[in-house]
Amino acid sequence: MLASQVTVLHGLGVPSERLACLAVAGGLPLWPAEDDRVGDGDPERIVVLVGSVDPESLDNCWLRPFAAWIELGILSDAAVLNKIALAASGVLVASFTTVTANRLTLARDIVEAVGSRREIGSERRDDIELAIHEAISNALVHGNLQVESMKGLTMSALDRFSEDISRRISDPDFANRRLDVSCELDAGGVTVEIADQGAGFIVVETDRCGPCGRGLDLISGIAQSCQLLDGGRRIRMRFDL
Amino acid sequence: MDYSLDIKDQEAVVRLSGRLTFNDHAKLRALIKEMIGNDAKCQVLDLSSLEFVDSAGIGMLLIAREELEGQNKKFLLRRAAGQVKRVLTVAQLGKLITIED
Repeated sequence: MLASQVTVLHGLGVPSERLACLAVAGGLPLWPAEDDRVGDGDPERIVVLVGSVDPESLDNCWLRPFAAWIELGILSDAAVLNKIALAASGVLVASFTTVTANRLTLARDIVEAVGSRREIGSERRDDIELAIHEAISNALVHGNLQVESMKGLTMSALDRFSEDISRRISDPDFANRRLDVSCELDAGGVTVEIADQGAGFIVVETDRCGPCGRGLDLISGIAQSCQLLDGGRRIRMRFDL
Repeated sequence: MDYSLDIKDQEAVVRLSGRLTFNDHAKLRALIKEMIGNDAKCQVLDLSSLEFVDSAGIGMLLIAREELEGQNKKFLLRRAAGQVKRVLTVAQLGKLITIED
């Protein structure tokens, strides 16, 4: 059981029985329905479990007090509970299938969430959004969908890239792979981790020159530190604020 | 990303809006084909309503340049602002594509 007094659980399009079971197993109260809320204001953290909802309705999803968005997909209860526990510890969490993440603007939502908790200048904010966006697109495109970068600046390279993405995103074996984001604020800045379920990769310097291959260089230029973990399936970026 | 195309005399102006990212691959293919397909000698991308561009977006702009110059058409970017202007500057895109204010 989690001994959290400040974190509550909320379901969007989740069957009430499963939601109740997860709340009991996770040791978290459910966020009361609007008419039943008492006291002054919202809880400190709301962990949202996402069932069947339109991804477009999840815009700006991490503004206070929302702290975690976990799409259930085909996750086991144990896997969901691990993510809930991480969120209850104070980390901002987003966990989506590839097909859902592809329809969200997660990088923008993350910087808006950080910006609602810390003051960031607009240029720094734009840079951090770009770094996070590049890490997420690498995780989705090259990680989970296993689509290679565009090779060369030709229409046929773009056609191939576009067709590969469309084909893979309509294949459930690729589309259901997870994208996991965690974001931990501290006194000096924020640490963001992006993890995928692809084949991983080894960074080769000569791979870094195509139109898509610039992402990692861009990230290194913006983040104070940047580490590839789990054989390239997880990137940890540190941004001083 | 969304776009609208407006052709006046010898200039085709395409106004982009929203976010230009890897996810816009299908729209960029369609747009490049439209720019190749119209008669205007000069193809301009008006970026004033574009909010965000990523490295794949920059790559796709370079592909547009290659394709259009291959058709003997002039290609230029105009009125970038905010994050977009910053990325174009950092990527030194001005060395490869004409950028107008």
